[in-house]
Amino acid sequence: MSQNNITAKRIEKAPIEEIRFIKGEETIVESYPSYLIDESKISGGHAEWLFFPKNEEEIASIIQKAKEEEILITVSAARTGIVGSAVPFGGAVLSLERMDQIIGLGFDEDTNKWFVRVQPNITLNEINDIVQLKKFENNQSIPPEKNWVEKFREEKAYYYPLDPTEMTCSIGGTIAANASGARSFKLGPTRDWIRRIRVILGTGDVLDIKRGDFKAVNGVFTIKTSEEEIKINLPDYEMPLAKNAAGLYSKEDMDLIDLFIGSEGIFGVITDADIWLTEYKSQISNVAFFEDEEDSIDFVNKLRKLEEFKPEFIEFFDDNALTLLRNKQNEDPKFVNMPTISDKFKAAISFDLPYSDEYLEKYFSLIGKMLEESNSSLEKTWSAYEERELARFKHFRHAVPEIVNNIIAERKKVYPSIHKLGTDMSVEDEYLKEMMNFYHQILIEEGLDYVQWGHIGDNHIHVNILPNNMEELEKGKNIYKKFAEKAVSFGGSVSAEHGIGKIKHDYLKIMYGEEGINQMRIVKMSIDPDCVFNCGNIFGRGVPT
Amino acid sequence: MKIVVLVKQVPEADKVAVDPETGTLIREGVASILNPYCEYALDQAAKLKQTYLEEDIEIIAISMGPPQAKIALMRCLELGADSAYLLSDRKFAGSDVWATSSALKEGIVNLVPDFDLILTGKQAIDGDTAQVPAETAEQLGIPQITYGVDVKLDRRRIEVKREVETGYQILSTRLPALVTMSKGSNIRRIPSMRQVLDARKKLLETASADDLNIDDSKIGLKASPTQVDKIFAPPIKTGGDIIDGSDPVLAAKKLLDYLVENNFLKR
Repeated sequence: MSQNNITAKRIEKAPIEEIRFIKGEETIVESYPSYLIDESKISGGHAEWLFFPKNEEEIASIIQKAKEEEILITVSAARTGIVGSAVPFGGAVLSLERMDQIIGLGFDEDTNKWFVRVQPNITLNEINDIVQLKKFENNQSIPPEKNWVEKFREEKAYYYPLDPTEMTCSIGGTIAANASGARSFKLGPTRDWIRRIRVILGTGDVLDIKRGDFKAVNGVFTIKTSEEEIKINLPDYEMPLAKNAAGLYSKEDMDLIDLFIGSEGIFGVITDADIWLTEYKSQISNVAFFEDEEDSIDFVNKLRKLEEFKPEFIEFFDDNALTLLRNKQNEDPKFVNMPTISDKFKAAISFDLPYSDEYLEKYFSLIGKMLEESNSSLEKTWSAYEERELARFKHFRHAVPEIVNNIIAERKKVYPSIHKLGTDMSVEDEYLKEMMNFYHQILIEEGLDYVQWGHIGDNHIHVNILPNNMEELEKGKNIYKKFAEKAVSFGGSVSAEHGIGKIKHDYLKIMYGEEGINQMRIVKMSIDPDCVFNCGNIFGRGVPT
Repeated sequence: MKIVVLVKQVPEADKVAVDPETGTLIREGVASILNPYCEYALDQAAKLKQTYLEEDIEIIAISMGPPQAKIALMRCLELGADSAYLLSDRKFAGSDVWATSSALKEGIVNLVPDFDLILTGKQAIDGDTAQVPAETAEQLGIPQITYGVDVKLDRRRIEVKREVETGYQILSTRLPALVTMSKGSNIRRIPSMRQVLDARKKLLETASADDLNIDDSKIGLKASPTQVDKIFAPPIKTGGDIIDGSDPVLAAKKLLDYLVENNFLKR
């Protein structure tokens, strides 16, 4: 039976002098610059303190210190995010790098599912290395009296399947960002894979939230801390049906855990989490080529209606993306590491399907028929299933953004403040073709270099605009806003997976308006009234009206 | 014309570690692949088939190994082999290079007696001995050319471009013959969905020692004159010490001291 009120537990604070830290803005800039930047590459990050806690007690103590010194805390882990959420602007960086272990393995007898309990800074690669090889100690069962570790060793192969492309990301970061990636087409985002989290709040108390235990009643939660009782009124905006990682998750009867997942760290620090595992099943990865983009979209529409199986991902490459890859193949074939792509092809779709000796013939015949209806064929489609080949296909999907980044790095030599403009918008199924045509039409009209690629299964194409000069960068920014407005009008999100961070506030406003932002601010001020955590993420530090 | 391609399934080499205590290979969690040099041999066979259409070339892939080595043979079928045989039997277990080549020879003679050309990789990336192809050719009594990078057909002869230390050498020989391949394209081919589908309709058979009428005395541990005593990881090479040579007299003295201290020289 769920309830809408939760009690936070007091944590003993560790003596502050026992915590490892670095102090001094200059020292941090000179000797620890990597803590001032993430994959967003936004500049201007700075901090006076750098803390390396190793447990909740130390974090509680750091929070107290921050409040005494009246400084902000920016939580930092693998720093692979691309919207600047981990970039500090003053105050303290709380790096979780000493909290990077697997705590244990458990089996949830209510749902019959395996889970692992992890600390926030462990990477997805590290988790899967341990889980796939079953490298657990016998005393790591949760709870200890159950012999889950021994039982797990007799099970088939399991893994944590989320794949936000960058597998060196930290699990804590993926929870804070509700990361997704290509496979979310079938698997859903991180949210769907979290059983339980622990979060330290600004009071230094800790919440232990298991999915299903705490649900809002009429849009209200109550949190009892050691200091007070906090009433949380959830925002009343309607979230888009399309894939979405913009702003706070909010539904009238939502689970409390979902308020924290995807909140970009603005309520507290995640200190451990239980994440679901799933049985590893072999997949076949494919890339189908088309002479016309419209045909490729038709194929996608057929593929996602298929009843026999659901691909884990459906990814798109437009003509410009294929041209980039072809040019790179001429220059450095090993970088792309794929057979030559014929220049008659104007679009490609990468998708996978379950490997099964029993159904292979049936599935391939189905796909073959759909390909032919869309003017392609089994002959025009690459196919592979060995582990190393799957890794190769994944690299191929990743090659386009890498090449784009290299081109931009070259242009930066002439215009140091130039950067790529990468969109992250989704729309509802029925608007996919219209949205893609809108992208092409405006970008061609404005004469900008661009590529389109990404998660077409979720109607979530990344448009990358590559400005040649500062004038084009400005032009691109205006277009970006037009795209955001169009996506919202098509029932979509201004950020389907990257989040808002410190750089997309304006677009969130297009989606939820001032009123929506204001309601989010009120939630923030209820839980973190001193604005200790990650201020500047999702919205600026304004006071709610 | 019939081309036999001999292949081996190997663990992905860069992922294998040696257990420092037992000296055995840690294969846990390491995927198996078609040995890359064997794939070059298969690529060469497929290229010949495409180039010399009038020869009506048939490609037969043969491997000796445990039942799971069928996966490597399936890759061969996807990439252009017309049929494949796996020589698999507990009796083959423990075979060294000689006993392996004995089994392969018997396999070839029994399954493809009218072969014209045998292509193999120059070596497998797990054992690295490079002896099986040569010994197979010897047992069959046919000419062999090693370290090939390209093969051309000329009626009943082949011309092979092969690597030598100073460059390349062109050798030719009569058929039947065996050629080991040392290099191919650095971009591995990818089969189409059609090829993956069609591969599953091709012949892939397992043959036991009895199926091939091989005398037990010729195969397995008993028939292996060599045995691996120990496997160990090579010691990690350190960078070495560099003596500053700006003052030759001082440098010579330092070098002498070093050699004496480390017992390379006696005063």
